[in-house]
Amino acid sequence: MTLSLHHEFSAPDRVVVHVGGRLDAMTFGELDEAMLALLPRLGDGGTVVVDLAGLEYVSSAGLRSFARIRKSMRARNGHTLLLNPQPQVRKVFDIVKAVPVNEVFTSTQELDAYLDRMQRQITEGDNDDA
Amino acid sequence: MALRSIASRTALWVLVGSTLVLAAMGALLLNLTRTQILEHTHHEAAALAAHAGSQIQARIDRVAVSARMLAAIIDTRQDDAEPLLRDTLAANLDMDGLAAVFRPSPNPADALPYSPFVSRLDNGTLTSRDLARDASPYWNNNWFLGGLGCSNGCWQRPFFSQSRHRQLINYSVAISRDGHPVGIINADVTLDWLHQILGSLAKPEGAYAFVLDSDGNYLAHDNPDLVGKRGAAALLVALASDQPESTRLPVAQNPRAHGAVWVYSAPIEGTRWRLGLVVPEYQIYAGVRRIFVLSLALGLLALLGVALITLLTIRRTMAPLGVLADRAEHVARGELDFELPPPRRPDEVGRLTQSFDHMRRELALHLENLARVAREKQRLASELEIAHQIQIGLLPSEHYLDAVCAYFELHAALRPARAVGGDLYSYFMLDPQRFFVMVGDVSDKGIPAALFMAQTITLAKALAPRAQTPQNLLRLLNLELCRGNDSCMFVTLLCGLLDTGNGSLVLASAGHEPPILCGRGAPQLLDFPTGAVLGLYEDSDYPEHRLRLRQGETLLMYTDGITEASDDEQRMYGIERTVESLAQVPPTAPTAGYIERLLGDVDRFVAEAAQADDITVLALTWHGATAPGTEISIGNQLADVFGALDRCENLLLEADVPAALRGDMRLVLEELMVNTVEYGYPDGRPGRIRILLQPQPDAVAVELIDDGGPFDPLQSATPDLTGDLADREQVGGLGIHLARTMASEMRYTRDADGNHLLLRFTYPNLDESPP
Repeated sequence: MTLSLHHEFSAPDRVVVHVGGRLDAMTFGELDEAMLALLPRLGDGGTVVVDLAGLEYVSSAGLRSFARIRKSMRARNGHTLLLNPQPQVRKVFDIVKAVPVNEVFTSTQELDAYLDRMQRQITEGDNDDA
Repeated sequence: MALRSIASRTALWVLVGSTLVLAAMGALLLNLTRTQILEHTHHEAAALAAHAGSQIQARIDRVAVSARMLAAIIDTRQDDAEPLLRDTLAANLDMDGLAAVFRPSPNPADALPYSPFVSRLDNGTLTSRDLARDASPYWNNNWFLGGLGCSNGCWQRPFFSQSRHRQLINYSVAISRDGHPVGIINADVTLDWLHQILGSLAKPEGAYAFVLDSDGNYLAHDNPDLVGKRGAAALLVALASDQPESTRLPVAQNPRAHGAVWVYSAPIEGTRWRLGLVVPEYQIYAGVRRIFVLSLALGLLALLGVALITLLTIRRTMAPLGVLADRAEHVARGELDFELPPPRRPDEVGRLTQSFDHMRRELALHLENLARVAREKQRLASELEIAHQIQIGLLPSEHYLDAVCAYFELHAALRPARAVGGDLYSYFMLDPQRFFVMVGDVSDKGIPAALFMAQTITLAKALAPRAQTPQNLLRLLNLELCRGNDSCMFVTLLCGLLDTGNGSLVLASAGHEPPILCGRGAPQLLDFPTGAVLGLYEDSDYPEHRLRLRQGETLLMYTDGITEASDDEQRMYGIERTVESLAQVPPTAPTAGYIERLLGDVDRFVAEAAQADDITVLALTWHGATAPGTEISIGNQLADVFGALDRCENLLLEADVPAALRGDMRLVLEELMVNTVEYGYPDGRPGRIRILLQPQPDAVAVELIDDGGPFDPLQSATPDLTGDLADREQVGGLGIHLARTMASEMRYTRDADGNHLLLRFTYPNLDESPP
């Protein structure tokens, strides 16, 4: 089984990337390339949601790819959120403490609630600025 | 009861002893005194008798003299005969009558001669008559005829005068004319004065006197009943003998005297009479007896006093001894705190009291010491017991059955000769595949050996993972034990490493007894070269001996406690008996059978002899080989790695390995192999990586072998896991960390083939998995 990737823009500043299959030393290049193409399409302050529901396996090479995505998004004042990690993936995350716990969500509802909250903060922040 | 006391016994003995001495001395004295008294009495009585004799003689002499004078003068004055007689009689009161009797003329015609007889009447007047006119002619009478023969005068027999009513005795003297007796002067003498003389004698009390005439009749006697009677025969015999001065008669004739008597006699000159004085013997001794009895009584009284004083003195002196005896019972009961009588004088009892006090104090000290020593001993014993427990705790269990594959089994027995000993055995899984086993024997015995044993067993376990091979382990152990081993203790050690996968065994020995291989045919002594004992020479080397155990074979390791076990006659059990004993074990016997057999035979051999050395036996049996694993060999390309990962995955799937474990294994293998491919060959040469996969009942063992540069993933640093991964400077090391974390066990060795990484993944415990 190899890596499967597809993405969708749920909003102009938000892209959801579905990663499936195995993300390992063999396949991490594909994700890197795809993200390299995708991320510039997001404006500053955009959000990348990586949906891991289909990801069965991740190795340290994959972790490094996620780290690169986060680094890249942070450079654009953006956010990287991880959704639905499967047990194996979650275990690997736990062992290496790869991502901040508050950026990992186990369900879409949880993510949506977080995004709404974040949206409100930005709006209120704008109001404050205004 | 009273004689229990020394005082009363001593007093009694003093009394008895003194009495005996007194009695003996008294008897001696009495005897001496008696002899003295007797002699004295003899003298006195003899003198008395002689005195009485002479007194009588004097009286008689007067009569005799008068009579003889009359006889001399009367012949010429025959006509004045009567006046002569009358005057003489008047002058001599001892005479009772006087007669001048003449022989009648042979011619019967002649007138009878005038023979006057003058006698004294009772009233004192004198009367006279002519005997020639008496009816009975006197010249035929015996007294006249006898008298004619007494020219010098002689005493006739006494007779009782009927006319005068008294006892009389005649003294007759012949009147000679021309040498022929013509008549006699006959003087009648009363014997009353004789009685008076006898009575007036100063006789001792109870004594009596008598006068015997020539015929042995009593003339006079203090007992008048006996007068005229004949003296007893014994008395007469005694008096007749020539030394009759003192004679002892057992019985007196006089009924007034009792018991034995002493008789003293004196002859009365001029007569053939004897005067006798009889003194009863009891009377002689009466005085001395009285004094003796008195002295005896006084002496006994004095002795009683002495005994009493002895009793009191000794009792008073010995009183402290009673107290001491009482106190000694206290001592026997262990009570040492008591009062002692104050020592009064520095005599034996005083010294004894002081010694007793000294003894009591010393004893208390001694008891205290003893208690302390006992406590110390108890403490030592309990410490030794604890040491024993700790030492037993250092040893692994006596039975080990490989829980994973049951392919090998181990039994061991260790019998210390003392509480703690220097023998040791140990075993442990060096990694999931290899099993370390060792048997050793420390020089010496007891606590030093036990400490050295503990050091050895602990060091061996600590050094084994680093050493990896028996040879290395012995080398490292030797270096460690040599360090600071000033006491030059050493240990012999036989060390084996069993590959549980295939039964191959690597042995190395540091001067230890050779092991014995049993189970197929005759037991075989594996006498391979050994290195020096551990702990003495730092540069020792330990050759390895390799063999492969076949199914059912048992390797027996032991210490010299077996071969040097000695019986009562100091014969050793020896290696031959050991091998013989093992040969008796049937090949199908369980592992423990070898140990039971060998120890049983040794016990029978040793019998009652004491165990001199620790005994250790260890048996390791190989039951069979594992199913062969799968080997995958690939080049050092990333694609090859992933191809291999897929093949592994398929194999694990076939082996029904749980999915979660498969994921973990894939991750670990990917991380390790990718790491090898990326960093193991910096020079870009082609390399080879082998994966040995061996599924086991509850785990999967994997060995990764690569010919890349040396790399021990266990030694690489743990990456910094704090903060955001994205912020970290370098993100390397994550894969190795993941692999280390996720593999159940990981062992690294490097040999000629390159890096060996032994991995083991145990099945997740279903009980512990979250619901």
